[in-house]
Amino acid sequence: MYRLNKGIIESFFLKLKLLDWFIISLIIILSIISLIIISSLDVNNQNLFEKHFLRIIFSFIVFLIVASINIKTWYKFSYYFYGFVILLLILVDFYGLVGKGAKRWLDIGIFNLQPSELMKIAVIMALARYYQYIKTDEIDKIRNLVIPISLIIIPFVMVIKQPDLGTAIFIMLVAISILWLTGLNLKIFTFGTLSLLVLAPLSISFLKPYQKQRILTFLNPENDPTGAGYHVIQSKIAIGSGGFFGKGYLQGSQSNLSFLPEPHTDFIFTAFAEQFGFFGSIILLILFLLLIYRIDYISKLSRSTFGRLLCFGVSFNFFVYIAINIGMVTGLLPVVGVPIPIMSYGGTAMITSMFALGLVTSAKIHKDQNIY
Amino acid sequence: MEYFSPKVRKGIESKSKTISRRGFVLSIAKFSFFGVIFSRLAYLQLFKSKEYKQLSDRNRFREIKEVPERGSIYDFKKRVIASNNQVYQISIFPKEIKNLNEFFYSLKDYINFDILEIKKLKKDIYRHKKTKKYQAYIIDKKLSWKSISKINYNLINIPHIQPLVSYERTYKYPEEFAHIIGYVAEPNKKELKKISQNLLYVPNLKIGKNGIEKRFEEEIIGSPGKSVIEIDAYGKQLKQVSYDQGTKGSNFYSTLDTDLQVFSKKILGNDSGSIIVMSTKGEIRCCVSSPSFNANLFTYGISNYEFKKYLKNEKKPLSNKPLSSRYPPGSTLKMIVALSALENDIVNRNFKIRCSESTEYFGQKYHCWKEKGHGIVNMKKAIKESCDIYFYEVARLLGVDRLYQTASKFGLDQYVLKNFVEEKKGVFPNTKWKKKYVGQPWYLGETIIAGIGQGYIQTTPIQLCKMIAQIANGGYKIKPSFNNNDQFLFGEKIIENGDHLKLIQESLNVATNEWKGTSYRSRIKGDLKYCGKTGTSQVRKITQEQRDLDIKNKDLPWKFRDHSLFTGYGPVSNPEYAISVVIDHGGSGSSKAAPIAKKVMQKVFELYYKKDQNV
Repeated sequence: MYRLNKGIIESFFLKLKLLDWFIISLIIILSIISLIIISSLDVNNQNLFEKHFLRIIFSFIVFLIVASINIKTWYKFSYYFYGFVILLLILVDFYGLVGKGAKRWLDIGIFNLQPSELMKIAVIMALARYYQYIKTDEIDKIRNLVIPISLIIIPFVMVIKQPDLGTAIFIMLVAISILWLTGLNLKIFTFGTLSLLVLAPLSISFLKPYQKQRILTFLNPENDPTGAGYHVIQSKIAIGSGGFFGKGYLQGSQSNLSFLPEPHTDFIFTAFAEQFGFFGSIILLILFLLLIYRIDYISKLSRSTFGRLLCFGVSFNFFVYIAINIGMVTGLLPVVGVPIPIMSYGGTAMITSMFALGLVTSAKIHKDQNIY
Repeated sequence: MEYFSPKVRKGIESKSKTISRRGFVLSIAKFSFFGVIFSRLAYLQLFKSKEYKQLSDRNRFREIKEVPERGSIYDFKKRVIASNNQVYQISIFPKEIKNLNEFFYSLKDYINFDILEIKKLKKDIYRHKKTKKYQAYIIDKKLSWKSISKINYNLINIPHIQPLVSYERTYKYPEEFAHIIGYVAEPNKKELKKISQNLLYVPNLKIGKNGIEKRFEEEIIGSPGKSVIEIDAYGKQLKQVSYDQGTKGSNFYSTLDTDLQVFSKKILGNDSGSIIVMSTKGEIRCCVSSPSFNANLFTYGISNYEFKKYLKNEKKPLSNKPLSSRYPPGSTLKMIVALSALENDIVNRNFKIRCSESTEYFGQKYHCWKEKGHGIVNMKKAIKESCDIYFYEVARLLGVDRLYQTASKFGLDQYVLKNFVEEKKGVFPNTKWKKKYVGQPWYLGETIIAGIGQGYIQTTPIQLCKMIAQIANGGYKIKPSFNNNDQFLFGEKIIENGDHLKLIQESLNVATNEWKGTSYRSRIKGDLKYCGKTGTSQVRKITQEQRDLDIKNKDLPWKFRDHSLFTGYGPVSNPEYAISVVIDHGGSGSSKAAPIAKKVMQKVFELYYKKDQNV
């Protein structure tokens, strides 16, 4: 077993050797693609390219630092991190910036931080830590369900109050995936799903009018072509008009002539698909698929339950990001404002995903580390 | 260590195995969702790609068709009658504009709209938005060069609008040529499809609605220009993608003579009626309908008030009288009756009859216009003095079917012009016709009044003009037309026997140029003479009571007065121009139509002969 008791600098370089170069090359490729796309979309000279590039560099440094820290430290740090993010969510409630009818952001100088984005990782870490100590045959006991369910419900309610239904559901989905992985009895899932179905009509009455509108618009976007359905219609036109090989770089009329709203954030995949077509989209999908399966692979290498659950959680987190985003821009899912990791222009999402990948890499480097 | 190597109990697997197994299930779920995304992308980008490409092009490209310049219309001396003015306008795509108030506000520095105008435009644009979703709308307001250049300079800052140069039809003599040249106005879809598919969706296109503008539309209209511009989502124009200038319509050279037309219009003044002058080969030099309207008013859509004023006028300024008003030809038909009788050997030139005040056929009294009668009349005198009794008898002997044959040879039952929408065909009855259209057998009494051009017979002024022109030219068939590029040649000979025609021509000559002739008072003294036949056609039957009371025509209400007709030609020695004048309810032919014909023929001689002599 590897005992790391040398000097910090020395150990850092030792760990560098153990870094997962597969993930790092995927990060680099995806970053380059996102830089190319974002520079093609900067029609109003907002220096998007420079800003995005700086964020990539900053996030990459975060990634390296997180990766070099022992998984055991992250294990110990999990609840504190969770508590910290909860604190940030409370701060948002008081001091948050208002945009698009919701309070989601905290101004921290360099960029606007979105704590609900961080919560996606925090909830994974907290749950992974909790299940580290639970014996397999005691998982289904009610008293062992109280803490994980509160860990999920508290941020869920806080985020839904912002209001940000998309992120709240996102957090819920990722958390449930952890519960699933731990081997929770199928009966509990069945019961949960059934009660959700019963509660669904009830919960709709609690939705904000714009959220209801979005669901209605999702069901029939052509109903309101200039209003709420506009995003989806224009996005579908952009993707569809790309054809097999796309319109070519910088030739995306939909995204370059502003027919597509927010092409550099939530609709960056649309802009990509318009310029590079079906061919490019499939290659991009394959890159993301490789990333997800690489994380799953690392998860299996890990010796600790914490490491395993953490990695599976992160991989599922990435999957949900991509599935919801592409589902939304292709009109399969309602527009909920979920970015694509690494590619989308946006500080918090970038740091969150790099942080998550850092955790995964740390789990790989310290795969043989036991957690006592 | 217990947590990391738990004892495998019955039914419960180790923790890491559970995670792996459930992770695998999760992987399948992930993979299948990726499959869904994959097929969705394939559906959008491969199967529906064409459709979405169209939608995307529709987003970014605006096709603007430009109105082509109409061909000008000239008279036979190549003087302009109808031409085009350049006007500056702006066009918009109503679909792009969400708030019209804001839009008009953004234009306030460039164009002065008053409140009523904006109200009307808003209503119009709203309607346009509903019916012609993807077409440009042209704000129908002429802009000054100053404001259009200001707009052009600031185009980047004013979204949605597109300045354009358009053409506006203008008529140099909007009243004089109104009927025959016609006017232009907004077309409907059906009319456009008839001319050319290419003309669809050309904003603000005006097409000929009647007259020459309509008849020769295909040559005059040209083909529209087309420009494609790229715009962004805010309606801002980025660049012109393609531009096709279109082609100007071909000019139309007509046979008309501006001088004669303007003169004739002036002569007619306020009278309701028409004057046609054509060469004996068929070149129509003048074709006036009175009263007239202003053709320029129609280009921008005539106001309801003006239009109603025209409609309410009992003299019907909107109708094209030379081509579409039908009158009983009255005495002007006598030359045809005489010719027919001669041709058919019913009577010879020396056939004489005594004309007293009236005569009786089948117990019905028939009167001559002259109360004391003409005494003994032969054919020449009968035409010269327009004796009714003589022609009653000739008609009776001739019969209506033979009369019809001759009249038909002169084109009295056919259209004169080819494909002219406004032209109406006259009616020339025969026994078959009556059975078919009236459903009754022919009565002999009807033949008798047919002899003096009354009864069922209806002719248009242009038919009468063609008739007299064919008598003047020696009995050759002609095809009258307005198109100077047509070949004006004599056709087949209608009347074989030259003596018969000569007799008629002589009779017409004495009718004008000899004492006691019906139009003697309107003769032209000098080398160049003209001649012709007057006609007075009754609008209603004169009852015995009225005859006894001796009611004068001018005492009757305007609507019941007789029509006044004159058909003639000149110069007598070498007939080259034929004329027909009809004054609605103008009284007798000799008192009203003949003096007008004299003035017009004088002008004709002045225009086409006097100058040559001076040179």
